[in-house]
Amino acid sequence: MTEERVDKAETLGGSLISNGVSRRTFLKFCSTVASAMALPPAAAKAMAEKLSQATRQSVIWLSFQECTGCTESITRSHKPTLESLIFDFISLDYHHTLQAASGDAAEHAREEAQKKHKGKYILIVDGAIPVKDGGVYSTIAGITNLQMLQDVAKDAMAIVSVGTCAAYGGLPKANPNPTGAVAVSDIVKDKPIINIPGCPPIPVVMTGVLAHVLTFGIPELDSHGRPMAFFGDSIHDRCYRRPFYDKGQFAKGFDDEGARKGWCLFEVGCKGPTTHNACATVKWNNGTSFPIQSGHGCIGCSEPDFWDAGSFYKPLSTGSMNMEGWATGALAAGAAVGVASGLLNSNTKSKAEAKHEPVTLEDMGAKNE
Amino acid sequence: MTTSLEQGINTLKRVIDAPIASYFSSCTGCGICSSACIFFTETGDPKYTPIRRVEPMRRIWEQEYTVIGKLKKLIGLAKEVTEQDLKDNVELAFESCTTCGRCSMVCPIGNDIVYMIRRMREGLTAAGLAPKELQAAAVRTMETGSVMGFPMKTLEAMVKAAEEETGIEINIDKPDVDYLLLLSSAEVMQFNEIISSLAKIFKEAGVTWTFSSKAHEAGNPGMHMGASEIEAMMINRIVEAAEELNIKKVISPECGHAYMAIRWEGPNVIGRPYPFEVYHIIEVLDELRAQGKLHTRASSGTVPMTFHDPCQAARRGGVNEPQRNLLNMMSSNFKEMNDSMACNWCCGGGGGMNTIEKAEPLVRKVFHRKRQQIEELDVNIVVTMCATCRNTLEEGVEDNGMDVTVLGLTEVVANHLLKENES
Repeated sequence: MTEERVDKAETLGGSLISNGVSRRTFLKFCSTVASAMALPPAAAKAMAEKLSQATRQSVIWLSFQECTGCTESITRSHKPTLESLIFDFISLDYHHTLQAASGDAAEHAREEAQKKHKGKYILIVDGAIPVKDGGVYSTIAGITNLQMLQDVAKDAMAIVSVGTCAAYGGLPKANPNPTGAVAVSDIVKDKPIINIPGCPPIPVVMTGVLAHVLTFGIPELDSHGRPMAFFGDSIHDRCYRRPFYDKGQFAKGFDDEGARKGWCLFEVGCKGPTTHNACATVKWNNGTSFPIQSGHGCIGCSEPDFWDAGSFYKPLSTGSMNMEGWATGALAAGAAVGVASGLLNSNTKSKAEAKHEPVTLEDMGAKNE
Repeated sequence: MTTSLEQGINTLKRVIDAPIASYFSSCTGCGICSSACIFFTETGDPKYTPIRRVEPMRRIWEQEYTVIGKLKKLIGLAKEVTEQDLKDNVELAFESCTTCGRCSMVCPIGNDIVYMIRRMREGLTAAGLAPKELQAAAVRTMETGSVMGFPMKTLEAMVKAAEEETGIEINIDKPDVDYLLLLSSAEVMQFNEIISSLAKIFKEAGVTWTFSSKAHEAGNPGMHMGASEIEAMMINRIVEAAEELNIKKVISPECGHAYMAIRWEGPNVIGRPYPFEVYHIIEVLDELRAQGKLHTRASSGTVPMTFHDPCQAARRGGVNEPQRNLLNMMSSNFKEMNDSMACNWCCGGGGGMNTIEKAEPLVRKVFHRKRQQIEELDVNIVVTMCATCRNTLEEGVEDNGMDVTVLGLTEVVANHLLKENES
């Protein structure tokens, strides 16, 4: 699929024109990406110039313990959009779901790309990496995911972890995590890693970050390794139902008056306040809608360990742990400590009592001068 | 016992009970008590923050009765209470606090700071640090039965004079009568007309009463010092007198702290219930009024007057309505003071303070608040029902050159009694 394209080494600008995309449309895309990433207005033009000059970027995409949802999200979302064109443009040298080649030929393509673009290719990973029992729970062409990641990562320029599984371990890592799944960042420590979490992530976020890497380098990241531009605000901060939250108007169920009126979904478990993503602004399916707009609370899929953070339908304020056992234990322990310290204290007090001698009139000698 | 630092510390350990422990552990340090304390508001000095007055006791509580405090002590982080700490505390616990309880009233947690200050005083007394004036008063009270040292003989002479003046026979040690009347030293010394006044009132109401030669005064310096044993001795004397005479009702005089001691603290410090009831004299007078047995004339003209609620009787003792009933019966121009009843500002001299020489400048200074309260009402008569308040008010009025007369309520009632030919 990709071998000859690499050889052409054409620029993105040329590629777009040959695909019938006007410069105007291209500029529009750059403006969209730039504004979505909160870059200054001048950046759109700079990005357009840089992108059109950019040569094909070699990309190796590794899919590990995952459901292919991330790939689905990118490839089937829109008709021929600029996002998909960007994906067309990059030299996707290895992607075992998308590539035509199979078996030895496919693995050969990967090895070739690794060799040819050593130190320059971008590694995209989706899916978690099982490490338990030597990583036997997921292999490709007889190579464990762990081995493959370590092998490909060592010569990569940067790594993009696409989806919550690659970024934080995701569903495979959910309790009890039978395969010992971990995130990319748990294994690779010496390469820049950009996390684009989400289950799946928003397509424009993926292409936007890619465009940023191609033009301005690695974007500013938050403490979870996510680009600030897309993950800087919480869903709650940008939610169109926020005014109802502020007014204290909540849906108490999915079929009550509040739900029909489109009130805030906090009390039916919306995780918007603790979830950072761009759903509320960029939305899904070409800007059609996003979960809260469809009447379901955010489940927090772009946050680490979201699957283990309690029920999707319990309000955030109820807490995520099952506290009953803890509470009983703590109560018993507290009571025991209380009784023990009470006994100690009453011992102290009775000692004081024993030493006590009454104050009598004979003591009234006015010693205080 | 011999008073000593060791006894002082030991006493502080001993008096920390469940309420005090919970008060300490629930104090949030909000400082609202300071805004309620006349010594803070009139001086602006934060050392007068009420809860700070019991700091040595708090440290002992922390070091002896809390896990963290014990750990701190173990690793040498805790500052143990020294003799100097206790000496320094005398100023805060005795010389700048009337135990008026305004702080306890406003504490949002409900901490009874006055209760803690009393117990702090108990520790200082055991350490031999109680002010010498209070110690001397305690000795006088036990030796003569009177806080100021007026023996029964003095009272007997006054009784004789009152009998001559009124022509009414006044009983001493008469059993099985309705009331046992107790006086305060201030009344014996400065307002002894109260004897003839009450003789008249009771005669007219058909109430029988007596003095006791065993207990003629209710004042209790033991309570001021927090010396529970001495306080109990003083109370026991009254209890025994009432028991011997088989009297069911005991009257506490116009003295706030005496009322607190005999009415509220008594059974707790002697450790058994009374076989009688205790009333403030004003409660008794109001009851007679309610029964229609008190015949008074209305005050001539519309001279405006106000009432100063004594802290121990009104705020801490709960006697708030009777004085108003009586005043409204006699006056058509009774003006309520701002912050009256339970919230009234203290006179500044109670709790033993106006006997302590060192405290005098402070007592004078904080009178500023009372002066303001009186001046904004534009009255010339201030009535009260506590001899200590009356004393402090009179001194303050004189000190500030105010045109104000201070009166005791019993005296006011007596002055308004209808003459025999008037009814």
